[in-house]
Amino acid sequence: MVVYSFYIFDRHTECIYSKSWLPPAPTASSSSSTAAATTTTAPGGPTSDTHPPLPLSTTTAAAAAGTSGRRSAPTASASSAADNDAKLIFGTVFSLRNMVRKLGGEDDAFVSYRTANYKLHYYETASNLRLVMLTDTATLSMRNVLHQIYINLWVEYVVKNPLSPVEHKGGAGVRNELFELGLEQFIRGLM
Amino acid sequence: MASSKASRLGEEVWKTRMDKVNAELVVLTYGTIVAQLCKDFDSDYIEVNKQLDKMGYNIGLRLIDDYLAKSNTMRRCSNFRETAEMIARVGFKIFLNITPTVTNWTSDGKQFSLIFDENPFADFVELPDDGRAQDELWYSNILCGVLRGALEMVQMQVEAHFVSDVLRGNDTTEMRVTLIRYIDDELPPEDD
Repeated sequence: MVVYSFYIFDRHTECIYSKSWLPPAPTASSSSSTAAATTTTAPGGPTSDTHPPLPLSTTTAAAAAGTSGRRSAPTASASSAADNDAKLIFGTVFSLRNMVRKLGGEDDAFVSYRTANYKLHYYETASNLRLVMLTDTATLSMRNVLHQIYINLWVEYVVKNPLSPVEHKGGAGVRNELFELGLEQFIRGLM
Repeated sequence: MASSKASRLGEEVWKTRMDKVNAELVVLTYGTIVAQLCKDFDSDYIEVNKQLDKMGYNIGLRLIDDYLAKSNTMRRCSNFRETAEMIARVGFKIFLNITPTVTNWTSDGKQFSLIFDENPFADFVELPDDGRAQDELWYSNILCGVLRGALEMVQMQVEAHFVSDVLRGNDTTEMRVTLIRYIDDELPPEDD
């Protein structure tokens, strides 16, 4: 089983947490910073558009690697690409959820969908927190896993954290050490 | 969910999954908060009620997630009557170990009363003897806020207030809860 990435969306439809376990894009060693930015930059985090222009070598290396896939897009657009991914994913699961409810009744919920390359798992709590996980296609239902993440990690480390705000605008309060560590361990334990 | 099933769920969660805290500690802590608010607002009890409701609201916003996690709730209540049963038999049971009675429904099914036979906040409590507290202060008003906050997070806008309190010399402690509306899903912003 391979987990590719994980997203949390709040009831205001904002992506408040995202994490990717994808291997760094295969670029030249000089652009290792590029790969790091692609995998760790969160929506709402510092956007690279505001950064000073990159050294020429890095940009060209990244641009050259750009042909191997959009994951390795040049740094300037890396965070907005991740941002866009999250938006696209939310749009998809939200429409799918609404369609499923229309066809199957208000209580119906979709669990996952699969493409040739990945499987997307979806879990929504009654408080309209949406958890999304992308895995390889052979993975069985992750609904329980997402539920466990909600119960054991989200509620314990984010909701019950007095320093974390109730509304996580821009992901505020979600990226705390215990939550990150717990999630990392939990996912590693599955793989 | 049938009410007996809700009772069993409440009982089980209370027994197996809840961390317990000394009841007297709760009584004294809550009492101290109310007493301090009365002092801070110069015995303006209307304002104290408001502050308690606000504190409860902020508690409710977070407490709902703990409720959903502990009770393993995977789906929404199908109607407001079911919501009322779940509040009384699961919510109050697991957090306060009491089960208020749900009663006095209006015919449209949007308004009900919770009758508290016991109130763990009110042990040893006497309201200030200044001739006003008896008429103005709702000692357990924090509970109204908790319900309002918690239900708002599961897309129900409600209004809750106490209508009688044994501390004031009434026969029962009764809270009235009214469903104002179901809140619609928020839609993602349009792409530009």
